Amino acid sequence: MQQQSPAKKKKKIKVPRVVNGVDTLVEIEVDDDGSVAWGPNDKHALLNHRLPRVDGHVKVSGAAEYTHDRRPPGMLYGRVLRSPHAHARVLKVDASAARGIPGVKAVVASTDDPARKELVVLFAGQPVAAVAAETPEIAEDALRAIRVDYEVLPHLVRAEDSVKEGAPKVFADPKEPNVEPRDKRGDASKVAEALKGADVVVEAEYRTPIIHHSSLETHGNVVDYRGGEEATVYASTQGTFTIPGDAAQELGLKESAVRAVVEHMGGGFGSKFGIGVEGMLACQLSKQAKAPVHLMLTRKDEFLLAGNRSGSWQKFKAGATKDGTLVALHAVQYRLGGLGDGSQAGQPYIYAAANAYREGYSIHTHEDASRAMRAPGHPQASFAVESLMDELAYKLGMDAVEFRKKNLKDAVYHRQLDRGAREIGWGRRNKTPGAGAGPLKRGMGCGIGTWGGGGNDECKVDVTVARDGSVSVAVGTQDLGTGTRTYTRAIVAEELGLQIKDVAERIGDSRLGSANSSGGSTTAASLAPSVKDAAVKARLAVAERLSPLLGGAKPEEITFSNGGVSGGGKTLSWRQACAALPAAGVTGHGVWQTSLAGRGVHGVCFAEVEVDVETGRVRPIKMVHVQDIGLPLNRLAVESQMNGGMIQSLGMALWEGRVMDAKLGLQLNPGFGDYKLPGALEMPELVPLIDDEDTREAVIGVGEPSIIPAVGAVANAVHNACGVRVRELPITPDKILMGLLSERRGA
Amino acid sequence: MADEHDVKSSRHQESPPDPSRRRFLKGVGIAGAGAAIADHLAQTAEAEATAARAEAAKLPTAGPLELALDVNGRRRAVSVEPRTTLLNALRNHLEPAVTGPKLVCDQGTCGACTVLLDGKPVYSCLVLAADAAGKKVTTVEGLGTPEQPNAVQAAFVEQDALMCGFCTPGFVTTVTAYLKKNPNPTLAEVREACKGNFCRCGTYPRVFEAALAAAKGTVSDK
Ligand code: FES
Ligand code: FES
Repeated sequence: MQQQSPAKKKKKIKVPRVVNGVDTLVEIEVDDDGSVAWGPNDKHALLNHRLPRVDGHVKVSGAAEYTHDRRPPGMLYGRVLRSPHAHARVLKVDASAARGIPGVKAVVASTDDPARKELVVLFAGQPVAAVAAETPEIAEDALRAIRVDYEVLPHLVRAEDSVKEGAPKVFADPKEPNVEPRDKRGDASKVAEALKGADVVVEAEYRTPIIHHSSLETHGNVVDYRGGEEATVYASTQGTFTIPGDAAQELGLKESAVRAVVEHMGGGFGSKFGIGVEGMLACQLSKQAKAPVHLMLTRKDEFLLAGNRSGSWQKFKAGATKDGTLVALHAVQYRLGGLGDGSQAGQPYIYAAANAYREGYSIHTHEDASRAMRAPGHPQASFAVESLMDELAYKLGMDAVEFRKKNLKDAVYHRQLDRGAREIGWGRRNKTPGAGAGPLKRGMGCGIGTWGGGGNDECKVDVTVARDGSVSVAVGTQDLGTGTRTYTRAIVAEELGLQIKDVAERIGDSRLGSANSSGGSTTAASLAPSVKDAAVKARLAVAERLSPLLGGAKPEEITFSNGGVSGGGKTLSWRQACAALPAAGVTGHGVWQTSLAGRGVHGVCFAEVEVDVETGRVRPIKMVHVQDIGLPLNRLAVESQMNGGMIQSLGMALWEGRVMDAKLGLQLNPGFGDYKLPGALEMPELVPLIDDEDTREAVIGVGEPSIIPAVGAVANAVHNACGVRVRELPITPDKILMGLLSERRGA
Repeated sequence: MADEHDVKSSRHQESPPDPSRRRFLKGVGIAGAGAAIADHLAQTAEAEATAARAEAAKLPTAGPLELALDVNGRRRAVSVEPRTTLLNALRNHLEPAVTGPKLVCDQGTCGACTVLLDGKPVYSCLVLAADAAGKKVTTVEGLGTPEQPNAVQAAFVEQDALMCGFCTPGFVTTVTAYLKKNPNPTLAEVREACKGNFCRCGTYPRVFEAALAAAKGTVSDK
């Protein structure tokens, strides 16, 4: 039975919609009654509490089935052959020997289709062929048996080389130059004029390298197509509904004939939208072999061809007056996204400068295209501007927190800076950078961030209450490890006065109600309101049935709490109540309610580090992140996400970065042995603080904001500790030692 | 091999994953690996080497090996090539597959594939299946079930020591083995014990808390 609502007033609003992890604003029409509300944040029975995740037990026991773990009967193993050259023309692919190996069931090569234009590979790692075989070992042999003839072309893998006069072209198309202008804003001459009036001026360049998402589950799919009209694709994806269309096109089926399943997935961080080249190849192999194909990238594939966070190169000239006012800022921002455009938030980022000018460019190289990664473009911009603000503050002899407050209008930042400073013990910081006896120097720094987030109307949720009292909530969305399953259940349980264990959720299936992709921190703000709406409708539908049993009480006045249903002076147990439902139970169909979602957050991070000035080694001591997020659906999971954001920032600040060999055009560190992820031994004390002074009764995502401010905070802490300003990430010991050396020489 | 190392050659043949100790082992096949060289590589005693070679020469270097693996207390017959790793045997050759241990790097760098071999944690991507025959293999599935988790598993859930969960089987296995060895660890010792496992989602602080809670027995049972 469906809960009917009377015709409602409509209004038009702008909401974020995520395509490939990048959100753009679109206008939609929504109901304008605001009748559904969460109620005060501190009055929830389940939400805003500490809820252990509902998929915890299957995950800790190895029972959770990830895409990588799928084993449909008759399944083959797919592997991809990568180009060893950064730029080359593929002349010939000879796979005859591979086809002849017993156990090899399908081979696809880039040259298969004679109608296709010649293939020019544009980065080392670009797929040129793929195989499917009975075992992974045989598939590996088959790759070795494929011979490819290349004509090697000149390559570019460094931004500096790409911008040089007379440099080879990255793309053949003359309409695609190596350097593409992006945005331009402000008046450069006014900035130059204002700089003359500044008491201090800092001119500096900051760089960040390409960062790898490094999801532990690599990209990939298990494509189950055995001929015929239908197919199932198990996908490790951030967008269940981005899969069927892509797969259908490769398989030559109708989109509705392809089912996508995303039961559990092992991390994406912005890199997993759509089926990808690996998915297209898996479809082709499955189609050829008429058997299911498991094609999960290897770790090395993952580094070379599955996207990355673009690097950055930012040049500034900025000036402030004695009282700490930022009066002028000139920025030139390059995004280093390889074949992709890269991303970077525009400067001066969050800060207010009386006169600001910026121009932005994408510099292309022969490297795999960048993709969205957790807050695309923000950590890069934040690191640079936070370092710059620090440099200005030190030059003025002003406290770094005070300087920031002076140039931030928004009072939320002021309160968050105060809280973070208190928590880390800002008063203890080094008054003079590098001061103190002994080789181990401690220092503190801070940084700030912002994120939009917000929700949209893509989620359609069903909540069904059965006559036996069981409750289920179904929607096709995916859980990336953010805790989607848990809050989905919790919202329904709370609405019906039940416990979390009383509700079952079904997600990760394109046959269920539609849902948005998880990008831009829009999942919770899109999904939670729709779940709530469905739960409210289900509750009212149950209440309507019970009204006669509860002395004719009005459905909206019947209360659901502690596993009971009360009205008209009577109380029924949940079981008794549900027994009055029709045989098919009742279902509430939920849609997005704008009144339940919010948008726009702040966030500050403080870091304390210890620098060994003899070895140049940095040891993180403590990090504090303060974050406003409206209504925290599950405090435990929100804190976990904030920890994750801090840890990933720490990696970007101190250890991570792609290293390329300019001459060979190859990545030198395509594996965890050489690409240093943060590990157990480096963990500082982490303090995730939810800013409960944000009393918005609205859901806002927290995935992205927590990765932004910490990178600058760590870099600033390093400077405060040892006096060396490292302007190029990661802050490795060599850079600190060189900095100390040049300081000594300069002194 | 002609991977990216030989870029000047215009002929290309793809190679298996990066050089690693296991790759070396796999390369020399059972002839080299038969004598559990992981532990004995350093020993150079000529006599031992000769004996090992003689022993290894009796083993096949190609073609299927019929093995009996003891996985979580069950005898599992499996037919694999000599180069097949224990991880691949578990995940891809057993029927039904044992997929708790995860394939993440296949190089001994991440710990997601950790299993216990006679109670000792090993990276199963660095052990040949043939070398695991005759030993007790315990995977995360053998430590507890969703319904009956062991103390470490229960603590992981309670402390939210997992997000995407892909690293989690490795951490759970590592921590379980460590607490057997040291039932009363300090935070520093727990960190040290976990240094061979990576988590990208960033669960470390809570993994540590979970390990300490499991050790103290303060985990409420479900
Ligand atoms: S998969 Fe074995 S250590 Fe990474
Ligand atoms: S929980 Fe995702 S990698 Fe550890």
